[in-house]
Amino acid sequence: MTQSLTGRDELVVVTRGLTKHFGDFVAVDDFDLEVAAGTVVSLLGPNGAGKTTIVRMLATLSEPTAGSATVCGYDVVRNADSVRSVLSLTGQFAALEDNLTARENLLLMARLRGYQKGSATRIVEGLIERFDIGEFRDKLVKSVSGGQRRRVDLAASLVIQPKVLVLDEPTTGLDPRSRQVVWSTVRDLVSEGVTLFLTTQYLEEADALADHIVLIDHGRATAAGTPNDLKSRIGDQRVDIVAVDLESLDTLTAMLSGAFSVVVSRDQRMISIPAPNEVADLSAVTAVIGADGTLVDEIALRRPTLDDAFLALTGQPSHPTNETSDQEEVPA
Amino acid sequence: MSSIAISRVDPAANEALPPRPARFQRFVRETTLLVARGLQTIPRVPSRLSDVTIQPIVFTLLFLYVFGSAIHIPHMTYQNYLLPGLIGQSLAFGVIGAGVATATDFGSGVIDRFRSLPVTRLSVITSQVVGQIIEQILGIVIVAGIGLALGWRPHMSPWGLIELVLLVLLGLSAFTWFGVLMGMIVKSSDAMQGIGFAIVFPLSFLAGTFVPISGMKTIPRVIGEWDPLSALVAAIRKVTEGTPAHGSWQLEHPVIAMVVWCALIIAICVPLALRRFKLSN
Repeated sequence: MTQSLTGRDELVVVTRGLTKHFGDFVAVDDFDLEVAAGTVVSLLGPNGAGKTTIVRMLATLSEPTAGSATVCGYDVVRNADSVRSVLSLTGQFAALEDNLTARENLLLMARLRGYQKGSATRIVEGLIERFDIGEFRDKLVKSVSGGQRRRVDLAASLVIQPKVLVLDEPTTGLDPRSRQVVWSTVRDLVSEGVTLFLTTQYLEEADALADHIVLIDHGRATAAGTPNDLKSRIGDQRVDIVAVDLESLDTLTAMLSGAFSVVVSRDQRMISIPAPNEVADLSAVTAVIGADGTLVDEIALRRPTLDDAFLALTGQPSHPTNETSDQEEVPA
Repeated sequence: MSSIAISRVDPAANEALPPRPARFQRFVRETTLLVARGLQTIPRVPSRLSDVTIQPIVFTLLFLYVFGSAIHIPHMTYQNYLLPGLIGQSLAFGVIGAGVATATDFGSGVIDRFRSLPVTRLSVITSQVVGQIIEQILGIVIVAGIGLALGWRPHMSPWGLIELVLLVLLGLSAFTWFGVLMGMIVKSSDAMQGIGFAIVFPLSFLAGTFVPISGMKTIPRVIGEWDPLSALVAAIRKVTEGTPAHGSWQLEHPVIAMVVWCALIIAICVPLALRRFKLSN
């Protein structure tokens, strides 16, 4: 049992060789992970990378094919019930009851956690205040906005004080404002010492919230480190140039590859160039293109995307299967 | 230090979690909570509400007045013939109701939320079954009530009434478990609705619900004679009217046949449903 929330060396989540097969499909492959108490670890990867499968195994919703996972020292298969009492899950798939109100949902979760009616009511009132649910507390969950729903979702995970809180893609599908609200809530929780395991498709989200990031693709961990560590390897900004057609893409590639290190994505008709010097690099690139007079669709300075991170850290795009389709996909 | 910070902002920190009761007590408590959740949502889903209220009312009125004017059953009013049939049909339609509700819950992810909590797994699936049975009872009470108001006069002793209630509960248990299993397999509520109607609707019409099986042409008659729903309808009619049907062993011994069919369905569906629930990932 973990006792201290400040014991940084204590490992709350540990997986060893965690593997999950669905028939012939390997969803998670030999995955090792350690989450220390009081830290935030983010699992970062594209759709279908195996993030949710890992979360489901940690939350005892799915049994590993091989390997093991423990939460607070409890094995997710042999001591599943103990795992459930120390872990709270908020996920894309761990839904609320649509036809109950926000308040009724929270009460049900508190009661199912074992609280008597009086305690449950007080906890729920507290959560409603804390998560600013008051104005829609008596609305059916199916009729509230995505952002409001996510707040109820988070509150539902906190009807107990979990030893570890698992958030599966907490902001997928949310508008930027709601995303900010979720982020600030998560930061509050972290400052209170909650251990957090978070999955996301957004590099900026992992960067904003996590102490430690694990990149995952095709069920395997492909890189790991602190956000700063990873960012220094990815590079900060880049210049993206979208060509008007494939012919001019080739012209531009030939023109720019001498002076810059270019990455070409044919199916997006796009050339990407690292821009560590930001605006200075942008003007250097535009100077070359301007001198030649080639038309472009778009040219812009951008923050790195998840794809860039994978490219930089693993030398491969996040979906290697796309490479083959790149060659074949010629617009008619 | 951080624990002080938590108790200030975290509502759960100020409340003591009671010691965990014994497993069986927890099972009863959790099942009750989850059944209550299911019943709470009925009035909020128009289609579910109409399935157990408006639909039986419309069926009863339609068949009584449309078919009733053309069908003459010897030695019996059409009310007395039809109502046992409608009760049997309601039982059978419970398969669709339970299947759709289960498919919806599993599809929405709310079941996964419950499974991620430290609640007994059996309570999650039991509550599904118990909730559906209560919902179907509501529908059957409405059908019987309208029937009585419109001239249904069952000929049965108090013991007959007890027998009727027991048979209906047995039938509900069997068909609800079957529906829950189907719902978990099919997973989509729309598909469940479609498949359910495609199977249950014809079987319930062939089951001597509205017209006697003995008067049907050869092929429907043979199907009707061995249709499990025929045993149901005939058993309920035997209890309320004391008149067995004829044509096959199960129609001549309908009560035993119904008990055997239900026992068989329960013996097959319950273990399969539990296994599927445990493995669902």
